[in-house]
Amino acid sequence: MRMDDPLLCVRGLKVGFPTADGVVKASNIVDLTIRAGETLALLGETGSGKTVLGMAILRLLQPNTRIEGEILYRGRDLLSLPQEEMQKVRGREIAVVLQNSGTSLNPVLRVGDQIAEAITLHRGLKGAEAEAAAVELLDQVRITDPARMAREYPHRFSGGMRERALIALALACNPSFLIADEPTRGLDAVTKREILNLFSEVNRGRSVLFITHDIEAAASLAARVAVMYAGEIIEIGPVDAVLSSPAHPYTRGLLESLPAKGMRPIPGSAPSLIAPPPGCRFFPRCSCGAGRCEIEHPGLVEVGPGHYARCMLYD
Amino acid sequence: MPGRNTALYLSLGVVLAYCAVALSAPVIAPFDPFVISGPPLAPPDATHLLGTNDLSQDIFSRLIWGTRATMVLGFLGAVVSVVMGTAVGIVAGYYGGRVDEAVMRFLDVMMTIPFFPLLLVLTIFFRPGIYVTAVIMGLLGGLGSVRIIRSQVLSLAVADFVVGTKALGARDGYIMARHILPNVLPLVGVKFVTSAQHFMLVGIGLGFLGMGDPNVVDWGQMIERASKNGGIVLGLWWWLIPPGLAVTVISLALAWFAYACEERINPRFQVMRV
Amino acid sequence: MRAAYLLRRLLYSAVAFGISVTIMFVILRLMPGDYITLYLEGIYVIAPPEVVQAYNHAYGIDRPLIDQYFSYFLGILQGDWGYSLSYSRPVLDVISEKLVWTLVILLPATILSIIAGIAIGAYSGWRRGSKADVALLNGMIFLRAIPSYWLALMILLVFAFYLGLFPLGGYVSLSALDTGIDPLDVLNHAALPIFTLFLFSVTGTYYLMRNSMLMTAGEDYIVTARAKGLDDMTILRRHALKNAMLPMVTRVALQCAGMLTGSIFVETIFSWPGIGMLTFEALQVRDLPLLQGILLMDTLIVIVANIGADMIYPFVDPRVEVGNDARA
Repeated sequence: MRMDDPLLCVRGLKVGFPTADGVVKASNIVDLTIRAGETLALLGETGSGKTVLGMAILRLLQPNTRIEGEILYRGRDLLSLPQEEMQKVRGREIAVVLQNSGTSLNPVLRVGDQIAEAITLHRGLKGAEAEAAAVELLDQVRITDPARMAREYPHRFSGGMRERALIALALACNPSFLIADEPTRGLDAVTKREILNLFSEVNRGRSVLFITHDIEAAASLAARVAVMYAGEIIEIGPVDAVLSSPAHPYTRGLLESLPAKGMRPIPGSAPSLIAPPPGCRFFPRCSCGAGRCEIEHPGLVEVGPGHYARCMLYD
Repeated sequence: MPGRNTALYLSLGVVLAYCAVALSAPVIAPFDPFVISGPPLAPPDATHLLGTNDLSQDIFSRLIWGTRATMVLGFLGAVVSVVMGTAVGIVAGYYGGRVDEAVMRFLDVMMTIPFFPLLLVLTIFFRPGIYVTAVIMGLLGGLGSVRIIRSQVLSLAVADFVVGTKALGARDGYIMARHILPNVLPLVGVKFVTSAQHFMLVGIGLGFLGMGDPNVVDWGQMIERASKNGGIVLGLWWWLIPPGLAVTVISLALAWFAYACEERINPRFQVMRV
Repeated sequence: MRAAYLLRRLLYSAVAFGISVTIMFVILRLMPGDYITLYLEGIYVIAPPEVVQAYNHAYGIDRPLIDQYFSYFLGILQGDWGYSLSYSRPVLDVISEKLVWTLVILLPATILSIIAGIAIGAYSGWRRGSKADVALLNGMIFLRAIPSYWLALMILLVFAFYLGLFPLGGYVSLSALDTGIDPLDVLNHAALPIFTLFLFSVTGTYYLMRNSMLMTAGEDYIVTARAKGLDDMTILRRHALKNAMLPMVTRVALQCAGMLTGSIFVETIFSWPGIGMLTFEALQVRDLPLLQGILLMDTLIVIVANIGADMIYPFVDPRVEVGNDARA
């Protein structure tokens, strides 16, 4: 593998959830690449499919989910790996910091034990050694009095501390790739900044897929950003380019809805993913849609160096 | 899943069949259940499909007539239970505060007294007929459903549409009847079916223990008499087994029905956060 | 903090017990006819007035009601639960004796049903929708719907009568008259009752465990565990099970509470001389003091079991501290 071959390459990913009303197509032909040491931010609102994408990479979705496509990690297609092989990848090669820190830790096990479990599993350390390593990790994520906190239960941790603990857990085995799903959701501004700082510090040199709805957080951490809407990537490119000169109308609308920029919301709501519109999925809410947009489904078109947008305006 | 619908219809069919039998007993039973109609303890034959018991009564006819007692015990009891439980539950949950507290405290105490033993003691003293027995079971059993209904009502009472209706000036009684009641009906419906099943089993169990109404043909009493008269030792299977089988089948049908309904009411799908 | 909570709980339970006693007194005294007459009707068809009067006097019925209430209440607290008409012994004595025999079959059945219920309920819930789960669930619904007395009867018929594998009833064979009570013999007699009681209670435990596991399986921390790379069975054992078992504490309490109800049919059918059988006998002869005592005992067991569960719960669930009525 060459130095700048992508670490992770998602090709044509389609995820569908069968429900009583039909299949929810949460992800539609997603193509994504992430290089070694690179942080890619995945931006989008709730329901855009960003968490699904993150979960799909580690195959953590429900068993009856329909997944098509390829997810190549270091050249191997994760979707075709047998369970035992996948288990070796999880935690060791690719780790995830889940959304919702309040419920992501087992309430009846001590925090230190939960971290030590991962260490024992992948690094082979046992008993006291694993515990010591866990304490060290808690220290690295700047939890005060890590030895004592390791013996505590999750409900004793504050929101920010739980987030740190989850980060520690994810980094326990020094994975090459980290998926972080909304690590700062629900935290106050001060804590948020601390966590983001910590995050960038501990992940130097690591590939990160940073899933968020927070544009500022994305701007501060990522080198590249991908914007998702209704299950599709509608814009992707270097973070400066996308955020200062957004190509897609949705991205533009997103930026304008920020408090700092005037807080103008985008009218309308996201389409149903069971029966999405045939043409451009953003068309119903787009202020500059043309007839073509309604019928033809746009592909990703280059609008700048490394900058692509899925819009008829550029086709 | 095809299985669920068939279970629903099949069980409903069985229940309706039992009701039909109960209603048409005088017509379809070959003999009067209390009349001497042949030799005692006779095994099944052409005239007596299930033989006769120790008092020379036709068992088959008794089996058919016994359906009535079962239906009364189950459904009357369930009606009383559900009406009481729902009324109290709605009032407690809707008004909240002191009323709710009082009801909960009362329940806490009443629930420490075990249902069945209390029922036994009451039965032995009052020696009630099946109608009164059904009512007593309903009252005692209804206490249990108050909690469940109340918790649903609690969340409904603060729901926007209720608050809105209140703001429009609607009276409490109106709100409770028109807005809250329909929303708890599914829960109430399931409770009705499970209560009916429970009361049938308990009511017949009372008969089995000798606490039944001697004026009525009751499957429990049949089993009791069968075992008392050497049913087990003498292997009088035609007397011993059919009543028990009859109870079991209706009980199963009601249980299936309740389960099938419950599955429909409870959305079990976990929503994946996207 | 803990002591205060404990005290409060005890006080509350005491009040509940007191109210139960009062309710029972009210129900049983303020009624048409009285229990003495009722009992005597079982012996004589028309009891001669001197006999009735003698009984009434011996049992204090001819005293004013308030008097009766207080002496009854105080008696309860002192351990005098009345005098059994049919056994001619203090009620509490009779009950205690028989309670032991009930425990002989009840404890093994309860322990077994809890272990089995947890094991298959957990597996069923974890592998929801699988063939095993569907089969187990349907089986349990079926089992649960069968009336207890009929199930017991069928078991007796099939295993004891037709197959002759186990004795038809009682707790010892006739040979005990000569050789004394042989534990193996008792075990032989207890086998079917234990099995039947086991079948009754395992369904409830199974349901509860399965539901609990269904909820636990959907929790976020299970996803975390999978994300760590743990395999399915390990996650079930180490993460899911502990959480799903928390409601079991309450379940065990409830089961103790339902002790009498469960045993009455089994003991009657298998002629096992425990408290259930006692209840049946007392019902037949209308021995009200005894019945009253049994009802009180059952209530007491319910109260104790509930307090016990409340006390134990904080030790199993680290989130709940004593004093928090946060029990699910």
